[in-house]
Amino acid sequence: MTCAPSAPEAAAPASWRAVTVRYPFRGADAVGPVTLAVRPGERVLLLGPTGSGKSSLLNALTGIVPGIVPAEIGGDVLLMGEAASNRPPSGWSAEAARLFQDADQTLCGMRVGDEIAFALENRALPEPEILRRIEVAMRRAGLVDAMRDRRTATLSGGEKQLVALAAALAQETPLFIADEPTAHLAPLAAARFRAVLDADTGSRAFIVVDHRIDDLAGCFDRVVVVGANGGIAADGPPRTVFRERFADLRALGVAMPAAADLDACLRDAGVAPSVPPLTVSEALETLDPAPAALGAVRAFLRGRVASPAERPGETVARLENAACAPLFGPVVLRGVDLAVRAGEAVAILGPNGAGKTTLTASLAGLLRLKSGRRHGALGGVAFQNPETQFIGGSVIEEIRQSLNGKHIRTKDRNAAADAAQQILAHWGLSTLSAAHPYELSQGQKRRLALVSLTATDRWPLLVLDEPTAGLDAAGARMVAEAVDGFRAARRAVAVVTHDLDFALMTCPRAVIVADGGIIADGPTAELLADAALLARAGLAAPPVMQALSWLERHTQC
Amino acid sequence: MLTRIHPVVKLAVCTVWLVAAVLVFAASFQIATIAIAVVLLVAIERRPPLFVLALMVPFALFGIGMLTTTALFREEADFALRVAAEAPFGSAAVSAGVVLFLRAIACGMVSAVFVLTTDPAGLVKALMAQCRLSPRVGYALFSAMLLVPDLAAEAQQIRLARAMRSSRPPRRVPGPFETASLVVPLLAFAIRRAGRAAISMETRGLAQGAPRTILGAPVPSRRDAVFAASAMLLLAALVQAA
Repeated sequence: MTCAPSAPEAAAPASWRAVTVRYPFRGADAVGPVTLAVRPGERVLLLGPTGSGKSSLLNALTGIVPGIVPAEIGGDVLLMGEAASNRPPSGWSAEAARLFQDADQTLCGMRVGDEIAFALENRALPEPEILRRIEVAMRRAGLVDAMRDRRTATLSGGEKQLVALAAALAQETPLFIADEPTAHLAPLAAARFRAVLDADTGSRAFIVVDHRIDDLAGCFDRVVVVGANGGIAADGPPRTVFRERFADLRALGVAMPAAADLDACLRDAGVAPSVPPLTVSEALETLDPAPAALGAVRAFLRGRVASPAERPGETVARLENAACAPLFGPVVLRGVDLAVRAGEAVAILGPNGAGKTTLTASLAGLLRLKSGRRHGALGGVAFQNPETQFIGGSVIEEIRQSLNGKHIRTKDRNAAADAAQQILAHWGLSTLSAAHPYELSQGQKRRLALVSLTATDRWPLLVLDEPTAGLDAAGARMVAEAVDGFRAARRAVAVVTHDLDFALMTCPRAVIVADGGIIADGPTAELLADAALLARAGLAAPPVMQALSWLERHTQC
Repeated sequence: MLTRIHPVVKLAVCTVWLVAAVLVFAASFQIATIAIAVVLLVAIERRPPLFVLALMVPFALFGIGMLTTTALFREEADFALRVAAEAPFGSAAVSAGVVLFLRAIACGMVSAVFVLTTDPAGLVKALMAQCRLSPRVGYALFSAMLLVPDLAAEAQQIRLARAMRSSRPPRRVPGPFETASLVVPLLAFAIRRAGRAAISMETRGLAQGAPRTILGAPVPSRRDAVFAASAMLLLAALVQAA
């Protein structure tokens, strides 16, 4: 499927005509052929399964590919009607602003003000204009003026992402490109990005790639889906695409808003609203609580709220009045009492920088406590940065080492190789078995790290740190199924996540970390229904909670 | 007060002073340099005396190495022995060693004065504005400064991942073998990180040779000239006295 632009092509901020991208030493194109044009003022949500080539398309647009990253480009890539190859990547900074996924890796100014000013200084804008833009961009990104002189090294992860957002906004370009802007953001910081999209009603065009789209779906005029074969699989207004192409997109493993799932259930029951909803509240606001509707909402919630274990297991790991601190760091959490049991999955929730990772590393026994006691066996951790874990020279070697350690007996090698291949096939990584782990996409790296950790039953406690960041819907479903499998195998699981829908789906119990300690510990659904608690922890209830409370309200009636 | 001096002027004064500390082989000059640095840090910059004392420890340890080496291997230090023959510290060898010891501390303290009173961002901006430092080099320095804490954090993550595989918590301070084994993965991390930072900077318009604005670069003033002149006069007087 292709989309012809209705506006004159010269005015299109971005267009691709039969574009293909092929990287050196690769037998197939990473993406394409793609024909697509983005009109001025249009907001486009670019979706696709992990590894479908979305980032390659964006990189080709601003000349990063092949200007910096070598690749062979077929077809024509046009930016503001001019061939992208006409200028070096630096020559497009007045036309296209780019917000990268990981702000940490892209900051280059010492202070917040310097960071925001950087692109403007490069364009040799006059100083008063730069100062005006800094002020406007900081206000739009929700950064207070007092932060202007703060060193970026002292900011939390969420604050850095907001600084990167302000820096991109300050460029005031006709095209704004964001690559997974909310992947590492706490809900309130993600809401700030949505507010920016909502408020920008001018002629600036947006192209956003993201997998967490529940809060964003309503901001876009158009959804474009890149299929697994590298071509355009769907293109149209979000409401139409998510309703009419629901089954196809689900089969592709593309992220869709929870409202699309709810809409499908309501359609199956014959009670769907005439206008396809983009949010759960939209779907429910006119819904008559008739038995068919109640059944449809129950069907939607099935599998979205984790059930507690049928029989509570023995305690696997326990912290007693613990003071937790990172290596060489000061104490960040005090008076922590936390126990996890076999067959239990606990979500560790909280704002950026609250100490969630330190808590789980302490629980796993990888960090020594400053005071207090820890009981139980050591746990295995799937780290936030999956590259940290890799020790093998290839994907298959990574799995083999996890299965057997370094000292494999010769007669066991074939058996280990077979087992490793089976595991890779189960996780959809078979075709990558010879690739170096660092060559994989972010989502594939995350899956590999998880596989290598869970390939054996060595660890009775598993800690998964942001396991769904960078994963598409199919990848997230796979992780959710894996967590269910660990629980069934009587292993204890602690999941650190900003994805509250995922927490609700996989973890019957949640712990909220904030203000230097654990401020709440209880059933996930109960904690996520407590608005005051969520506000204190800088969290926002996931959309599924609206369906849950609707159902409770109408069932009681 | 020193924080308000133009970084390039301060860098020039400190460099001249360091060269003098290396060339003037007199205990009195080195003691005076240390005393001036301590007075500047404690009385003017309001740094705690204990902090300033602690700053001297690594330089003192280095100096002690020089002192003992000179005392034990005096035949190898002919020039220093001749220069220090008249110094009031017993034998010539010990005198030479004491001067070397003091020189290590003096150089360390001059560097400490510069580092503790200079904003790195201001320095790099001033070098770009006044000394024509290439913005590519300047922002590479910024990125390198930001990389240091991230390298430390990455090293801790790698240590935790390895500890998990070996089923025991990491030692608080890594041993020599563990430290050596971190070099390659950290180098790989630094290279990847540098590549991503370069892409980010290029997409934000950083180009070779293009004119650019430098926001908030320190501007030299009369105060800087007074500072430089006073420092040079004081230095000349101390050299003369030595």
